[in-house]
Amino acid sequence: MNSSLPTLDALLHQPVRTQIAAYLAGRGEATFAELKRTLGVTDGNLDAHLNKLLDAGYLECRKETSSAGRSQTVFSLAAIGREAFAAYVIALTALLPARTDAPEQLVANAPFPDPTS
Amino acid sequence: MRSHLEQIHSIQAMLAAGHRCVELERHSLLLWGLVGGGLCAFTDLFINADRFPDNGRRAVALFFWLAAWLGAMSWLDHVLTRRARLARQETLPFAQAQITRVWWMLLALGTLSTFAMFFHGGGDMIYALWTVLLGLGIFFFGLFSRPLIEWIGLAAILLGILGLASGLPMNDARWLTASCFAVGLPFTGWLTARIDDSRAWRRVLAVGLWLAAVVVPALAAARLVPTAPTPTPATSTLRLSAGTVVPLHIDMDSALVAIAADASIPVRVRRDTEVALTDGQPDGRYRFGDGSWHTIQDGVLYLRIDHIEPKLSAGQPEIRMHSDFDFTGE
Repeated sequence: MNSSLPTLDALLHQPVRTQIAAYLAGRGEATFAELKRTLGVTDGNLDAHLNKLLDAGYLECRKETSSAGRSQTVFSLAAIGREAFAAYVIALTALLPARTDAPEQLVANAPFPDPTS
Repeated sequence: MRSHLEQIHSIQAMLAAGHRCVELERHSLLLWGLVGGGLCAFTDLFINADRFPDNGRRAVALFFWLAAWLGAMSWLDHVLTRRARLARQETLPFAQAQITRVWWMLLALGTLSTFAMFFHGGGDMIYALWTVLLGLGIFFFGLFSRPLIEWIGLAAILLGILGLASGLPMNDARWLTASCFAVGLPFTGWLTARIDDSRAWRRVLAVGLWLAAVVVPALAAARLVPTAPTPTPATSTLRLSAGTVVPLHIDMDSALVAIAADASIPVRVRRDTEVALTDGQPDGRYRFGDGSWHTIQDGVLYLRIDHIEPKLSAGQPEIRMHSDFDFTGE
């Protein structure tokens, strides 16, 4: 095994959790209902993945209560989560063949600073 | 486990979905469509020279008329949007909140420009201006929503510019702007809900449909809805043949210059013109040849001063002014 290969964040290297992080990186914040609709997953599945990201400190959540008394939870990426996601994308990109265009485009367009710079 | 490349593409798709998260609510499109279209089509019935003969008072009345309607609609749209989002347990994305502010700024710009045109001219491009502002608003929303909405915004901007550049008659321009609001906005929502705009040719097709849906009813309305009631056969008219000389009395009395009360300039009519008479006096309706009837207030006629030149003629100072008094077509 080549020891110079970058290691991938095990928590983020799971399709649903990666998608949650990517969507929140682009949108800023989203409710449970929005995440469920965008990702097309079940309540239980989404809840389990959100809890893992919350436990790791990658996500933040806050309760919003409307004037009608209705409350909803809004999720966003925490600073640690944003850094971890940026590092994950860079590590993932490094593992790809050099001739692929998409990752370069992705990193160039990514809405987060490159932690290595 | 999926390949790394698939994972990257999945991230790319989710980032794009996160960035383009703005959704135009159905009630927003209907509200702005009906109010914007209604204001374009019917404002002249309420704010006109008959009710407000003084230019300044007419400008102020129109300003408050537009500000009241657009302000009320902005508030109502804001409340309904928040309520709809809460009902669906969704948040209002940051981008949408910012773009909504830009939309309000565009409406304020349109209202202020309309007011300023009463004093600084340019009234013949008022509908082109509102069409372009509407297009800009749609385009800005599209930047953070579906690419098709961007394209529709660009189409509206071009429509406004081309209408002005081609000398579209004022009445046609009014109905075109009204149609862009009343038909164009709801149809934008209908199209984006039904058309997968991932391919460019589909967007081209959708924009073509949108243009047809907006332009055809506008031109039909401009032809079918008369700008002035056609005189009945019993109404007496006066026909001025081409070549007739008519005295033009100018009332100019300002702090800078004044004209003698009885001063007049003989002007020669270059086209056969017919004016309708009520109680033996022209009532403001006229037509060229056997064309359709207009009223003097419908904005078809315009007077533009191209340049003013001070000169000395035989040692005496004089002012030469070149102006263009014409109509925007039929």
